[in-house]
Amino acid sequence: MIKRATLVWVLLAVLSGTGLFLVKYEVQALEERLAAINHDILDDMEAVHVLKAEWAWLNQPARLDDLGRRLLDMEPVSSAQIRSIADIPMRTPDADAPPSTAPRRRPADKPRKLVRNPRTADPVIPLFAQYRRTP
Amino acid sequence: MIGRPPFFHPARRHPGDADQALETGRTRLLFTGAMFACAFAVVALRLVDVTLLKEGAGQRSAQLSAAPVLQTGRADIVDRNGVLLATSLKTASLYANPHLIIDAHEAAAKLVKAVPELSREQVYARLVSDKSFVWLYRHLTPRQQYEVNRLGIPGFDFITEERRVYPAGPLAAHALGHTDVDNHGLAGVERQFDETLRTGGAPLRLSIDTRVQHAMREELGRAMRAFRAVGAAGIVQDAHTGELIAMVSLPDFDPNLPASIDSESRFNRATLGVYEMGSTFKIFTSAMALDAGTVTMQGGYDAREPIRVSRFVIRDFHGKRRWLSVPEIFMYSSNIGAARMALDVGTAGQRSFLSKIGMLRPAPVEISEVGQPILPGQWRDISTMTIGFGHGLAVSPVQLSTGVVAMVNGGVLYPPTLIRRDSPTRAGTRVVSARTSGEIRRMMRLVVEDGTGRNAEARGYLVGGKTGTAEKVMGKRYKAKALMSSFVGAFPINAPRYVIFAMLDEPSGTKETLGYATGGWVAAPVVRNVVYRIAPILGIHPVDEGSPAIRQQLAIDIVTKESGKRRLASF
Repeated sequence: MIKRATLVWVLLAVLSGTGLFLVKYEVQALEERLAAINHDILDDMEAVHVLKAEWAWLNQPARLDDLGRRLLDMEPVSSAQIRSIADIPMRTPDADAPPSTAPRRRPADKPRKLVRNPRTADPVIPLFAQYRRTP
Repeated sequence: MIGRPPFFHPARRHPGDADQALETGRTRLLFTGAMFACAFAVVALRLVDVTLLKEGAGQRSAQLSAAPVLQTGRADIVDRNGVLLATSLKTASLYANPHLIIDAHEAAAKLVKAVPELSREQVYARLVSDKSFVWLYRHLTPRQQYEVNRLGIPGFDFITEERRVYPAGPLAAHALGHTDVDNHGLAGVERQFDETLRTGGAPLRLSIDTRVQHAMREELGRAMRAFRAVGAAGIVQDAHTGELIAMVSLPDFDPNLPASIDSESRFNRATLGVYEMGSTFKIFTSAMALDAGTVTMQGGYDAREPIRVSRFVIRDFHGKRRWLSVPEIFMYSSNIGAARMALDVGTAGQRSFLSKIGMLRPAPVEISEVGQPILPGQWRDISTMTIGFGHGLAVSPVQLSTGVVAMVNGGVLYPPTLIRRDSPTRAGTRVVSARTSGEIRRMMRLVVEDGTGRNAEARGYLVGGKTGTAEKVMGKRYKAKALMSSFVGAFPINAPRYVIFAMLDEPSGTKETLGYATGGWVAAPVVRNVVYRIAPILGIHPVDEGSPAIRQQLAIDIVTKESGKRRLASF
């Protein structure tokens, strides 16, 4: 009878020991994974930091200005191009007439301007690209 | 049955003694048991405390599970809209321990191949020196670091360092300043806020708007090339907070390359340079006289003859040779009229007025490159007269523009600032009455509509301003043909939102300007072009100048004595 009780206790001790062992190792593995993930996050944050600098570098107003002029034919807005909503006349009864049946010219029909490949036309070398960490 | 301990032997004791002894034994057992229970309880509590409550595993797991925070050594600097202007990137720096170098010749030869910026002799000299630490190259790119690593030279090692980079390049160079190789601020806000920036944390938000800054910089650069000027300065300032939206000084420098900065490009013409501003000072003279009540808008002065005071002669550039009313003096930029106007207020009055609007002390802007204004040695009547039209007192462009902000915004002076102010209203000091400010605005509009500043007219944006052309002082004399040509304006002048200043240093006239290099010909067009470009960005709606409401707001009464008639300008 005493022997059986002892056996139960020994069994319980072995079980809890094994359990502890397994849990401990699992926790250790999880902690390692967590540390690795945190490290990756930090790496990514650093990469994002570098990319932000590069984004600011590529968005220099002088560069955007130049690209807009060369590739998109953009010009500064003149004051004559700006009107307020109040300047638009009220809709007249004629405008309520059914729309004409003539086919509307779709934007796609317009002759398209040839746009140079921005990659080759771009004179600005992304300087900060060299600070980006290679994986 | 358990045998009794020997001291319970009944033969030696009385029958009652046995019970007594049993009782004692039980008490002792209970006591000992209680003590053990207490001890175990303490151990158990401590166990709970250590494993669950206190530092140790608990904090460690908390540390591990907390989201990582990127540590940057020096805080970022951003513009008013959050566009990155300065940040710190991690780089590797190469150093060597010469005691560990086996073959300095070979090491130097190999290193120069990997880092071509280095010279072989220099590297060799450093590698044979008798130190245990020598820098070889600061801030390698990751590729160079990889190359150096591949050489596998013992004695070489890396330190991770921070490098300050300015993604906008030279755009806001003078406002930002730059840092040295150890990331200490050397100029601009980098120097002024060095302590705060070094502790890291939230980015420093400047009042500069990169888009406006770019428009100003580009237009100034264009004018500088066209008129072959040696330098230029430009300012856009918020008329209700004193924030500097743009501050340009040309030539400028790239803060990414601090080694290449020369003294000419380092010099900040907008804040450090002090210049005799010329006729733009007539804004202050008129405001002072109108506010003091020594003259009214209907009053005027005789401008027929040049004024002679000892060896000085005060002449008019655009001479009319007749009696001029105050608006006419302003519009035709009459030196004689301005001199008489200043003299009427008097030396003490002028001095206290100029002191009140910050002309006599360095501008309180948040950079260390701020120039000390040059005051006349003895403020005599002649000084009062010449200062009336902007000679004899040298101030920096930022002082002038801050003063003009106060003149046009209803009369409240705000200290200039490079840091964005989030509160919509800043505390200012009233320096002139709202009425005087309104009169100054009308006269400034007149200059652009009908006077010397016609080239600043930007259709729809109601620019008002004043031209200024001064001869440069070289040593003790005025240098003939070397001009400082400027224009200071505000728009929309009926309710100014921004004050804008442009100045060219030693411009030469071209065929297009009929050989003139005055403020109205060289600086006013810069202001016009900048207004056209920045007004849509700043959300200013163009208006119809001819609308009755605006006409009425800007109407001005010009009295002409000779004809005895009055004519209403702006009609």
